[in-house]
Amino acid sequence: MKKSALGIPSRRDVVRSIGVAGLGAAVSVPIARRAFAQTKKPVDISFWTFDNPQQRPWVHKRVKMFMVQNPHVKIDFQWFAFGDLGKKISVGFATGTAPDGFVSQDWFMPVWLDKGLLAPLDVKQLGYDNFTAFTGDFAKAFVDGATKDGKVYGYPMWFYGYCNYLNAKQFKEVGLNVEKDWPQNWDQLGEVAKRMTVKDGDKFVRQGFKFAMHSSQWTMIQYNPILLQSGGKWFDDSGKCTINNEAGIKAMTIRASIAQKYGAEDPADSIATNPIPGMDFLKERASMFFCHPLPTSLVKAENPAMEAENYFRPVQYPGVQTGKGFSTTYGFNLVINGKASAEKQEALHDLYKFMMSDLVDAWKDAAPFTFAKKTGWADNPEVQKFPYVNEIIRAKDEGVFLPRSLVFNELADSMHRAVQKVMLSKADIKKTLDEAAAEVDRATAAYKKA
Amino acid sequence: MVELTSSEPYQHGGLTGPPPVARRFWQIHHRQRIRLWGIAFVLPTLMFFAVFKYGPMMWAIELSFNSYDMVSTPYFVGLDNYRSLAADPIFRETLINTFVYIAGSTILTTVIGLSLALAINTGIPGARHCMTAMFLTNLMPIIAVCLVWRFLLHPYGLVNQILQPLGFGRIDWLTSSSTAMPAIIMVTVWRFAPYFMVIFLAALLALPEDYYEAAELDGAGAIRRFIHITLPLLMPTIFFVVVVSALLCARIFLMPYLITGGGPGNATRVLSMLIYETGFSYLKMGQAAAISVVLFTIMMVFTALQIRLFARSEQVYM
Repeated sequence: MKKSALGIPSRRDVVRSIGVAGLGAAVSVPIARRAFAQTKKPVDISFWTFDNPQQRPWVHKRVKMFMVQNPHVKIDFQWFAFGDLGKKISVGFATGTAPDGFVSQDWFMPVWLDKGLLAPLDVKQLGYDNFTAFTGDFAKAFVDGATKDGKVYGYPMWFYGYCNYLNAKQFKEVGLNVEKDWPQNWDQLGEVAKRMTVKDGDKFVRQGFKFAMHSSQWTMIQYNPILLQSGGKWFDDSGKCTINNEAGIKAMTIRASIAQKYGAEDPADSIATNPIPGMDFLKERASMFFCHPLPTSLVKAENPAMEAENYFRPVQYPGVQTGKGFSTTYGFNLVINGKASAEKQEALHDLYKFMMSDLVDAWKDAAPFTFAKKTGWADNPEVQKFPYVNEIIRAKDEGVFLPRSLVFNELADSMHRAVQKVMLSKADIKKTLDEAAAEVDRATAAYKKA
Repeated sequence: MVELTSSEPYQHGGLTGPPPVARRFWQIHHRQRIRLWGIAFVLPTLMFFAVFKYGPMMWAIELSFNSYDMVSTPYFVGLDNYRSLAADPIFRETLINTFVYIAGSTILTTVIGLSLALAINTGIPGARHCMTAMFLTNLMPIIAVCLVWRFLLHPYGLVNQILQPLGFGRIDWLTSSSTAMPAIIMVTVWRFAPYFMVIFLAALLALPEDYYEAAELDGAGAIRRFIHITLPLLMPTIFFVVVVSALLCARIFLMPYLITGGGPGNATRVLSMLIYETGFSYLKMGQAAAISVVLFTIMMVFTALQIRLFARSEQVYM
């Protein structure tokens, strides 16, 4: 250090020394922090899911718990409306802003897999010895949508079927008993619905039965089992859409019969108002309604008496053959973006394993949403005490999947339009289904060409 | 650059005076400097338009000749997207819906907006308060407007409750293919007509009184005064309202999307909804871009026709 004539450091020397000392301290602190705070490298992960009053808070809770246990992992947790999640993720992939991990609705899996957007999961890291052990732990129908070429791409979460929810009190009012008189085929459904219907002129005071018609996904969920029960298929082996064949016409005729043959439903009312598809059932303006498992908290919020007196009763779908009804099942996968780094993929494996490690905890928070996993929850006393839980589990086990198609959205929109035309404009069924099938075939051809 | 070598007084343009100072190559003339300043001020705006308006527009046009699923690299397909649109009945139906919607909404918005302005302009008591109340429709968030109208137009909603005592039966406003589009047009007019009413009112207040006084002295009645004075003088405003309202309607998305979702069937699906569905739901960005180009072309042609039509009518009146 340069000194003044008197041998004392100048003011400039002092300021310079302070500056050097400060710079040294600034550089050394992060190094010291890195050296002592933790041993694992910090990982920042983005994770997206859909919104649902029961499921989303539980996922969020598990994410927070994971971060507490793994302080080196920071998770940016985002959620979107159920119908918007797929679109947000598509845009995310297009713009390079897709999350590292996300919850995928089952019907999007074919598109993600076809375009190679997902990373394969390491089943050993998820706690399984091999691929067979993994697939054997879940319902086959569900695993089929999460695997490809011997690799696993989705870790199954919730997986549930639809039930026919009945208002036991209104059954009793018209002299019926839900335990004996629940409709087991479509004609019985029409007859019972007709008996339950209350009208004031052309106004429905109470609809005997109600199909939700507010979105294309719900249209597909409702129509899928009717088509398959009628012996129909969405596509033939060559990929041609076959919804307009004889079985398809039979299915649409059944779909339309409740309103048009039995006069027990007002389709114009269905699409116009309800914020929650099952609101009319919960408010006792409809006596029967096809729905996913209904959480008791939702029933309580909308109709405390119905919850307290427990007069809502889930039963199996009606069938084309009496007593052989089944419904649509669908579910959700935990998946990893194929572009996520190795560190992020490892952390996401840990997160997913942790999330799904306590299904009874998930049941407590999100009951009665059932799981794809075969073991570790259904026989638990906590689960078994839920009202009619075995009906709900049976609907899941016997249900059929939505078509796994690369043009699912186009198919769903075409069917939605077709159902609206038949139900609201009383359009000719054959002609309407021909148009819908042609739309789907055009979409398939365009996809193949691209 | 001029190099001066002589010390003689410099003569330029017959004037004598001190010779101009030699300018270096980086030195610029005063006028040029002013021009450059002007450009500098305009440049940020130009850049903004280039990056956020014209750039994406050019990209959309280019994309319309490509196949692009938002994930893979786009590749050139020539006119394939346009060909598949031409063969698509849903597109044709949607195109017709869009024309019907634009025509219906624009004509009714203009006529009702002008009528309201004329009524307010008569100065009847409470007119100003009415104007304020009507303009409030423009201040409401569009989502709230759509939800409220969904309930009002429900089969058991307020509109039917009012109409039924008057002898009307149940009208399925939003769920019948014959009434859904008129219902959407009605909501559009309800929202936009008061906005254009204010524009018409401003134009009416600016009209010179002399013409009316002269016409009154000549014995012209209210209708003749309107046809021969008001209407010709309002032509530029009517032209503005028609063009702006048509452009607004051509881009409408939220109203049909939230009120009917494009249904029943395909009855209220308009091109902007089809663009959204094709791009973000079916992941066919190239085809969505082709629909956008078609919509853009329609609007350009429509606006050009309007300009010619109104220019001719102004000549006739003048």
